[in-house]
Amino acid sequence: MKNHPIVGASVPRMEGRGKVTGQACYVDDMTLPGMLFGATVRSGIPRGKIKRINFDPGINWNEFVIVTCRDIPGANCIALIEDDQPCLADGSVNHPEEPILLLAHPDRHLLPKAVEAVSIEYVPLPAVFNIEESESLSQIIWGADNLFKSYLIEKGDVDIAWRTADHIVEAEYSTGAQEQLYIENNGMIAVFDSQQGLTVWGSLQCPYYVHKALMKLFALPADRVRVVQMETGGAFGGKEEYPSMIAAHAALLAKKSGKPVKIIYDRMEDMAATTKRHPSRTRIRAAVSKDGKLIAGEIDFTLDGGAYKTLSPVVLSRGAIHAGGAYFWPSARIRARAIATNAPPHGAFRGFGAPQSLFALERHMDRIAQVVGLSPVEIRRRNLLRPGQTTITGQIIREQIDLPKLLDRALNLSSYHAKKETFAKTNPSGCIKKGIGIAAFLHGAGFTGAGETYLGSVVGLEACADGRVRILVSSTEFGQGTNTVLCQIAAEALGLRYEDVSIARPDTRQVPNSGPTVASRTVMVVGKLVQSAAAGIKKTLEASAMLGESYSPEEFRAACSAYVAQHGQFRSFAHYQQPDDVVWDEEKYRGSAYAAFAWAVYVAEVSVDLTTYSITVDDFVAFQEVGKVLHPVLAAGQIIGGIAQAIGFALYEKVVWNQGRMQNGQMTNYIMPTSADLSAIRVYFEELGNVHGAYGAKGIGELPMDGPAPAIVNAIEDALRVPFNSIPLLPEDIFAALAASARTDEAFPAARGER
Amino acid sequence: MRSHPVDYELVAHGTLPAVLSLLAREPGAWLPIAGGTDVMVQFAAGKLPARKLVSIWNLPELRRFDVTPDEIQIGAGCTYTDLRQNECVFREFPLLSRAARWTGGIANQNRGTIGGNIVNASPAADSLPALLVYEADLLLISSHGERRLPYANFHLDYRRTQLAPDELIRAVCLKRHFSTYLPYARKVGARNAQAIAKVCLAALGRFSAGRVEDVRLALGSVAPVPLRLLETERFLKGKQIDPHCIHAAKLIVAAEIRPISDIRSTAQYRTAVAANLVAEFLGQLRALSAPGEKKNIRLEKWNAERAEDAAQSILPCCGSKAWARGMTARRPILDEASLLAASDDVWNALSESDWLEAFRSHPRIGESHPPAHASTQSAAWSGEEQGKAALAEEAVRLALAEANRAYERRFHRTFIVCASGISASEILAILLRRLQNEDSTELREAAGQQRKIAQIRLKKWLSS
Amino acid sequence: MTQSSLPRPKSEISLTVNGKPETVHAYPMERLLDVLRNELGLTGTKEGCGEGECGSCSVLIDDTLVNSCLVPVLQASGTCIVTIEGLASDGNLQSLQQAFLDCGGAQCGICTPGMILAAHHLLIKSPQPSLEEIREGLSGNLCRCTGYAQIIEAVAEAARRGAAA
Repeated sequence: MKNHPIVGASVPRMEGRGKVTGQACYVDDMTLPGMLFGATVRSGIPRGKIKRINFDPGINWNEFVIVTCRDIPGANCIALIEDDQPCLADGSVNHPEEPILLLAHPDRHLLPKAVEAVSIEYVPLPAVFNIEESESLSQIIWGADNLFKSYLIEKGDVDIAWRTADHIVEAEYSTGAQEQLYIENNGMIAVFDSQQGLTVWGSLQCPYYVHKALMKLFALPADRVRVVQMETGGAFGGKEEYPSMIAAHAALLAKKSGKPVKIIYDRMEDMAATTKRHPSRTRIRAAVSKDGKLIAGEIDFTLDGGAYKTLSPVVLSRGAIHAGGAYFWPSARIRARAIATNAPPHGAFRGFGAPQSLFALERHMDRIAQVVGLSPVEIRRRNLLRPGQTTITGQIIREQIDLPKLLDRALNLSSYHAKKETFAKTNPSGCIKKGIGIAAFLHGAGFTGAGETYLGSVVGLEACADGRVRILVSSTEFGQGTNTVLCQIAAEALGLRYEDVSIARPDTRQVPNSGPTVASRTVMVVGKLVQSAAAGIKKTLEASAMLGESYSPEEFRAACSAYVAQHGQFRSFAHYQQPDDVVWDEEKYRGSAYAAFAWAVYVAEVSVDLTTYSITVDDFVAFQEVGKVLHPVLAAGQIIGGIAQAIGFALYEKVVWNQGRMQNGQMTNYIMPTSADLSAIRVYFEELGNVHGAYGAKGIGELPMDGPAPAIVNAIEDALRVPFNSIPLLPEDIFAALAASARTDEAFPAARGER
Repeated sequence: MRSHPVDYELVAHGTLPAVLSLLAREPGAWLPIAGGTDVMVQFAAGKLPARKLVSIWNLPELRRFDVTPDEIQIGAGCTYTDLRQNECVFREFPLLSRAARWTGGIANQNRGTIGGNIVNASPAADSLPALLVYEADLLLISSHGERRLPYANFHLDYRRTQLAPDELIRAVCLKRHFSTYLPYARKVGARNAQAIAKVCLAALGRFSAGRVEDVRLALGSVAPVPLRLLETERFLKGKQIDPHCIHAAKLIVAAEIRPISDIRSTAQYRTAVAANLVAEFLGQLRALSAPGEKKNIRLEKWNAERAEDAAQSILPCCGSKAWARGMTARRPILDEASLLAASDDVWNALSESDWLEAFRSHPRIGESHPPAHASTQSAAWSGEEQGKAALAEEAVRLALAEANRAYERRFHRTFIVCASGISASEILAILLRRLQNEDSTELREAAGQQRKIAQIRLKKWLSS
Repeated sequence: MTQSSLPRPKSEISLTVNGKPETVHAYPMERLLDVLRNELGLTGTKEGCGEGECGSCSVLIDDTLVNSCLVPVLQASGTCIVTIEGLASDGNLQSLQQAFLDCGGAQCGICTPGMILAAHHLLIKSPQPSLEEIREGLSGNLCRCTGYAQIIEAVAEAARRGAAA
């Protein structure tokens, strides 16, 4: 037996050494002999028909490989949920930057000029650029009514409540687009061989998503398409679905040229052309009793999906389910809609709909508190879910979670009450106004409802000749610690040392489909399958009498080695089984939406400087219950990193749109925080376990994205006594609101604008 | 990367005369490139019109400082890092020193040059307002000779300057007569580092007999060129600064500037913030010259000391060497309010180990022997602060000693509390409450107390 | 082959990289970043933005931290360059690299080479930096994964372990 547990310890990052020595190999670090470089010619208009494509005679086009939609062997679509998104435009375009044709050349430097030398004549059509314009149906730009998807979630009888409520509190909130801004831009290398088929290497989260899309595009069977993940420099959802598009492009050029082709976006292209977080608009109407209890809620949650359906239905689903937050709503009605606009399709980004709906809800709780005459603390205390109560989808909270106690701990750690008292005294005379704000929330881990069953994840564990074991999953590492944590789990489950476990590179030829690396599911769902697969290996060795009930790592390795010598390399596979107590009705959208929720209370302390109207987060306390912390350093890193991105979402990151095109697609103009902008973020964990997760863990990757924005805006309202209902909230917006409220002496209305 | 390097010629002749004769032979054909922090960005974006470039990076004739009793000549090839490291610039031209600190990050400061900043002529450039208020002269050189031009005349219009096609800036000349002015510099960007200014103000002011004797104000990002606010200055000269005057000045500022709305900000915001910055500056000027307040000799002396000595002399106020270094780096500090604010800022940014170092310099509360390594001054102050505690009744003293020991067992360090003016039993109550704190909460509470102690000690230090 | 008038010749540019003398054949306006990665095969230095904002391309030129995407290779002629590949020696990690591993300073790793160079540069100039000095020293290097906290801890830890080169 080993001396100390591996799960729960901060073991060295599996692939860390390569990262700190510059040896880690990202897609642009790889070169293949005879490789060409590819580039994309994109639409310059938001919507219209392509009349003619002109090639400027100043370029020697014979040297270039040129691919259009005519070169697509299979279906011209990027297969995802619906097949409405073309790989290359065929006669018409529906958003700026839509790909129209592809070029390749051996000299990377010649491509930008060549792209410029392709001029396209269009017949423009009227376009729509925001939720209101799309809803008005003045232009139908998708389907029959611009509607990608809608959901209706109902609990109890909402309509009675309006007649009897002591208070009805109504408001509208909005959030803007946000760029994932992984520091490594999207990139792919493709090779097409008439015998072997198609191979792509790239920066990606979901090898089997790319695999599925390429099969359809090329009309190839599964064993003639191979997708390999390279070291990936950040993803955050931005490389969940988009890589299928760039992989398709590289592959088409590779097929046409007969040579390897590499496409690497530069920052401006990546920002302008790839997915962003869905802009949102949420309208909440809440019926509240005079002692501050929620009675009923009607929530209208709308997402701007961009020009094609892509993942909007799933983002909408999660946003809608999280719209009720961590509170008990006796009755509720949630109408959720994802609609089309002529912008590049919006897509997955950490949180995936929940940051949007939870921003609105947590702001609304503070508003309710004001109307009822209670504090932001008290309004939450009275409404937080308790074990035995149900969420808005009717999911019973079975775990013994004490949310009011979580709230108290967070308040204590942040010195909330003392600070509130101090600020009340110092604010009247200060030029720097200080405030403190709270957000209480939850995040469901894993795919919604029957999603995990639909995925049918498979995990393999391979026993090797040297007695070590190797994990076979399609789950990718992109900084969050997949490799490390899955190896910890396998080592712990088998009684091995951490060093005795390795994990295979996600290569569709080598690993089974353990599902996409999204939805905070890797540690919880895939990790649990790793545990099961490990049990399978153990059983096999025990059954062949090579291993006793208790053994040392050395003994395991000897047994494993001996078994392999006798029987050959062997693998144990585990297949996902939906737990019996997680039952979901897809039609009525009711039941247990997620196998587990992580819970959190965040407290933000801010200063607003009235000289410059700029906002600083002076202190941030993040307290969360996460089942079990499998790796303290990695877990803290996930929380802090997510909070930093959410601070960006709230205060810094504004996408400036002009006719559906991002105008500020450079690091100098799209502002993310530097080390000089973020002060102490203090992270604390509570662990209640989770029967459905490996070693009791719940997913935590996305949780930290949900709370900071509303906590910060709540704090800003606390400081300034002016409400803000829209993010990103920039100094210019603070100034405009204060100026308006000084003029009119009334609260500033909800800010609108192109988002 | 959207340009093809094959399309560009770059030559590096290595000496200034060689560069100048190239520019004279083909005026307007060659674009000088120094550190490249502007030119290479345009190049990578495929937006560099010039095809022939001549390197002026690291030319010894351009990258030098010449200091005479009357003026300093800063070579145009000096980088922002060079500016930050130059003692004369740091001491006498703090507006320029601060602007250098704000520009980009360290890597860009190591390559960006003052000459490049001037010639690139962006109205948002960080160092240009400082040059305006210091009334800099430029030395422009060509193969025909050198001419001296007031910097105020250099910018003609948006990105159009007086620089002739065969000329380079050789140096920026600053007269060394500004040390009696109050300096004020503030940049407002989208974030604290690596930000293009939305507004920035550089100002100098001098008071005499209760009135503004001289004032200079220059703003960036509020006009097509960096702008000296001559009308606002005219208004302010000779005035007493009171709220009415400040309000009127703000209105003149708003009328004098011509900001635009662009991808970074709005005209209204820029106008409001520009006026606010001027008001903030005027407030500081007024505070310095409030009737009856004399200049603080202690502070003046400390500002002029060598860095090591300055750190040593302020150390007893806190006990953390990192704090002392941080305070020293913020000189010159001109008044008590700024000193106390700086102390808080520096203290809050320290690491845990620095905090612990500060805690260790105190004796246990209620005892009379400071730790051996605490300075004499620190020990004397500890004695004064703990005065009341020392006079407590026997029972309370015993309880205090016991509680102190419990605290040390729990938290592995001395209990820190700002004891000035509170009794021993009050201290005991606080100690007992804090014994219940979680580790991280207690650390922050102790740090908060130490911060207060530093404030009290700084006030004493100022009058010592 | 190009479409412009005459194909310009490349230059021979000599420089020292990670202690080794090198001569590269490059156009003078090629970015030092591209020469390091493509001519010399030193792919540890990364391109994140191409505009000198993210710091992923940070290297040392004559002990001075610079963004290599903004340096035309001609200006690096005759200089000594240090890239991330030049920090570990004989397979032994520098204590700064080890501290990054121990404290969680590297997540996806793409900003890490530049971040380590910037930290290395800071610790040479200031072997016992305060938190404020560390924040300032790294403020030109963007990280999207970590929120900087564990990077700053790593640098502080390396300073405690005595990391000056």
